[in-house]
Amino acid sequence: MFSRSSQVVVACVASRFGAAVFFPLLQQQLDRSVEFSTPVTSYRSLQEGVFLAQRELPVYDGGVVHQAPLLVAAMAWVSGETLRALAYACVDAMIAHQLMVAARVLRKRAGGVSAAGIPANAALPQPWIVGALYVLNPLVLLSTLSRSTLVFTHLAVATAAVAAVQGRSAWAGAGVAAAAYLSLYPLLLVVPIAAILPNKRCATVCTAACIATLLLLLVSSYRVSHDSWQYVYSTYGVVATFGKLVPNLGLWWYFFVELFEMFVPFFKAVFNLFVVACILPFSLRFYKQPFYAFVLCIAWIALTKPYPTLGDAGFVLSFLPFFQPLFGYFRYSVVTALLLVHAIVLSPIFYHLWVDLGSGNSNFFYAISLVYALALASMLVDLVWAMLRTEYDAGKPNLTLKMTPV
Amino acid sequence: MALIEKLERRFMRLGLLPRLIKALPRLSVICALIGVTWLALILPMEGQYRRTYISENALMPSQAYSYFRETEWNILRGYRGQIDELRDLETQTRNEIVASWLQEFGTKTAVYRDEVDGDTLYGLQHAARGDGTEAMVLAAPWVNVDGQFNVGGVSLAISLLRFFSRWPVWSKNIVIVISDNAHTSLRSWVEAYHTSLDLTGGSIEAAVVLDYPETNDFFRYVEIFYSGLNGELPNLDLVNIAVHVTEHEGMKVALNGVSENQIGDDDSFSGRLRTLAGSITQLAYAGAQKCYGHEAFSGWRIQAITLRARGTDGPFDITTFGRIPEAVFRSVNNLLEKFHQSFFFYLLLAPRLFVSIGSYLPAAILLSVSFMLSSLDNLLNNKYASTSLLSAYNTGAFLVFAVVLFFSFLVSQVLLHFPSTPVPITASILASLLLGAAKHGLSAPLAYRFRSLAFLYFGLILTSLLVVNFALAFGISLLALPMTFVKNESDFKRRLKNFILLILSNPFIAVCLVTDLISPDLSGSQALERLIFGWTRMGSWTWFVVCLGWLPAWLLVALSTSPASIPPSKTTTEDKKNA
Repeated sequence: MFSRSSQVVVACVASRFGAAVFFPLLQQQLDRSVEFSTPVTSYRSLQEGVFLAQRELPVYDGGVVHQAPLLVAAMAWVSGETLRALAYACVDAMIAHQLMVAARVLRKRAGGVSAAGIPANAALPQPWIVGALYVLNPLVLLSTLSRSTLVFTHLAVATAAVAAVQGRSAWAGAGVAAAAYLSLYPLLLVVPIAAILPNKRCATVCTAACIATLLLLLVSSYRVSHDSWQYVYSTYGVVATFGKLVPNLGLWWYFFVELFEMFVPFFKAVFNLFVVACILPFSLRFYKQPFYAFVLCIAWIALTKPYPTLGDAGFVLSFLPFFQPLFGYFRYSVVTALLLVHAIVLSPIFYHLWVDLGSGNSNFFYAISLVYALALASMLVDLVWAMLRTEYDAGKPNLTLKMTPV
Repeated sequence: MALIEKLERRFMRLGLLPRLIKALPRLSVICALIGVTWLALILPMEGQYRRTYISENALMPSQAYSYFRETEWNILRGYRGQIDELRDLETQTRNEIVASWLQEFGTKTAVYRDEVDGDTLYGLQHAARGDGTEAMVLAAPWVNVDGQFNVGGVSLAISLLRFFSRWPVWSKNIVIVISDNAHTSLRSWVEAYHTSLDLTGGSIEAAVVLDYPETNDFFRYVEIFYSGLNGELPNLDLVNIAVHVTEHEGMKVALNGVSENQIGDDDSFSGRLRTLAGSITQLAYAGAQKCYGHEAFSGWRIQAITLRARGTDGPFDITTFGRIPEAVFRSVNNLLEKFHQSFFFYLLLAPRLFVSIGSYLPAAILLSVSFMLSSLDNLLNNKYASTSLLSAYNTGAFLVFAVVLFFSFLVSQVLLHFPSTPVPITASILASLLLGAAKHGLSAPLAYRFRSLAFLYFGLILTSLLVVNFALAFGISLLALPMTFVKNESDFKRRLKNFILLILSNPFIAVCLVTDLISPDLSGSQALERLIFGWTRMGSWTWFVVCLGWLPAWLLVALSTSPASIPPSKTTTEDKKNA
């Protein structure tokens, strides 16, 4: 007897693994597409790292590999294309599972205003629906098929979120630390995650666990990479300083292509500040709805990080079903959806015009990445608005009352 | 911000939003009308277009004296006489003989063998001053676009290469290509050049295809063709050079097959409109209609044009024609970078008048917006608008859409293997008849969702095509426009109207009808087969755009015309109110 949730998990593994086996060329194509692959998450560079590690060569000398040493070591251990496809499918299924667990916990606790900030009488979606929407999300599916190492970060983030709503502080801290270890910026999530935990003591434990795990991971990486700290710059330095100036869907690259050399360090600091800037405010303003603040934070990071992919957007979108009762308050969900769909459809076309045909130029693709950012931003603004309205209605949703003209 | 807020309040106080939503059908029509008017009436008007100019300073067309003159005429005549005698030989033998001539003045030659499309002879002359990484192509198919033996073109290409070989000025390799025909064999050679050939001369910057059929010494005027496959155009600088050089030598230029008596009609509105319409149809039909030669170079970052000599008598001799490729090559030879300065997206209204993308794109954007508005209209202007996002209707509509998309894909594949025109057309007519006449049909909310989804999808397809292939996007949006007027009502008149609208906007029927009307060298009954040829042999995407973009939308709309079953009386009044 299979429950709905286990059906979802099985469907997740089957769809990912099946697609990887039946369309073996898809992985390379997706890994070459600018929407799903960046220098810091690409499977190609991971493979390079594995190759070098297996031959006992210095992994980070060539400036090609930007994945964390332990991930490279783990991948060296999982050999064979089929096995790796299965591993990625399983990791994705674990994310779906974590989302469903989180939905179950939040649903159970729906008496009173829960961590998600949903009013008591509102019905949260069935856990399996949350999982199924994650599995069916084409952005997530393609991101997994491209074998972007982002999947591992997302697993760590999802685990941290689940542990936090369950009140397991040490696990939550460890999850954030693992995500931060894999791709730096999730470190910021320690703030909203700690806020989800029930009391101050838990939050302290969480922070301590995060620091301890991170230190442990860093030191063991140091050991794994033959007593060398070189990996720190290649993995985190490159991300934070935007070391590889290549086009992607983010807001960084065009700016730094255009900028005079002498201003570059200053504006790199500014852009980093930009990523950090909204984490604390979100957590403070929505301290009564900490799970909601957490989702805002991951959306914010997906919007402002230097190397975003569509996989980030897919992950953020997977958290939207948690807030189903808020959907009625959305003011321009149609606009957001249209913006997002157009950005996703047009970005490969404009990139093709620029890079393959040469008849377009970088402005074409940059314009579309702006549309993409606008779509994410309008989703974020709409979410914030919806929660503020819920607060205003104080537990009695009143969808007919219009606060603003539109 | 305060100003925006004030405007917003005023906007709401006047109750404009509900009114706008009510007016969506009308707005959609207005958008489409403005779009068409923009292209057909505004753009050819004085002041809307610009004069062309050479954007890249290095090109300097006609700045150097052209030396391909009477002394070369004798050599050209010699080659021509010899080639005329090869007329009845096999291509293989012909290629061997020509290859031996090319080798006489130091050209490296090779034959690209292709059993299906025909062999191609090509030769490479290394540049004296270049590093061998860039090349220019001089192509002359044995048989030209109209099936004539291209004696003049081939002999001109050989004698030009012989003439070029004596010059030390070249900084780019020169490749001569003599293919079996102007379409598939040349295309196949271009692909092989970039993938499998051993003898190559670096990346091809520009290609000039010569078309001078028969053995006459004189001609009347020059035709230039430039519309590539999948909406690609050569850099405007290359077209400009060709026009500039040709007119500098005193010859008249006709673009896109404009007839001789209409050349120089730049001053009249109708003349500009005709050339503009010609540019758009050439671009939309590229690959499906007859191929002049330059189409073969599409998709590899090569700027290519075809030069065609027309008329068998006239004031200009064949060396004058040869001076055009000479001067074009001299100009391209000057380039230090790839073509990038001038426009890649343009429409020509006359050899020296153009509009750039910023001016003409709004026309197609408005048409695409018109479909989006129709989609919104079907989403908002009915009493089912407030059903939740995850309701069974929406999910059902999406599922049906997925099925329809898959079905369209199957149709496209089946027709690829069994090309036929009458079958899809009859099937479409039958489908629209049956669906319109059915007793029981969909529930009304589902019908609205179907149409909403269909227009949304079609609008999305149009938007994605806008920049890539403007002509195609504009053309199919215009042809599919009748779809947006389909409404659910059960009286006979409305049903008849729906039927007619569906027939008019059916992808297969509309393509055949329009081809019959506007394309001079294609009959409607061939249109589908030519589209399929365009995909299978030339690599033009038009067939898939029609089958995977247009057909699913049409099918959804056709499905929605089956009469609404749930509460029919109420639906009717609702519709009347909205209409």
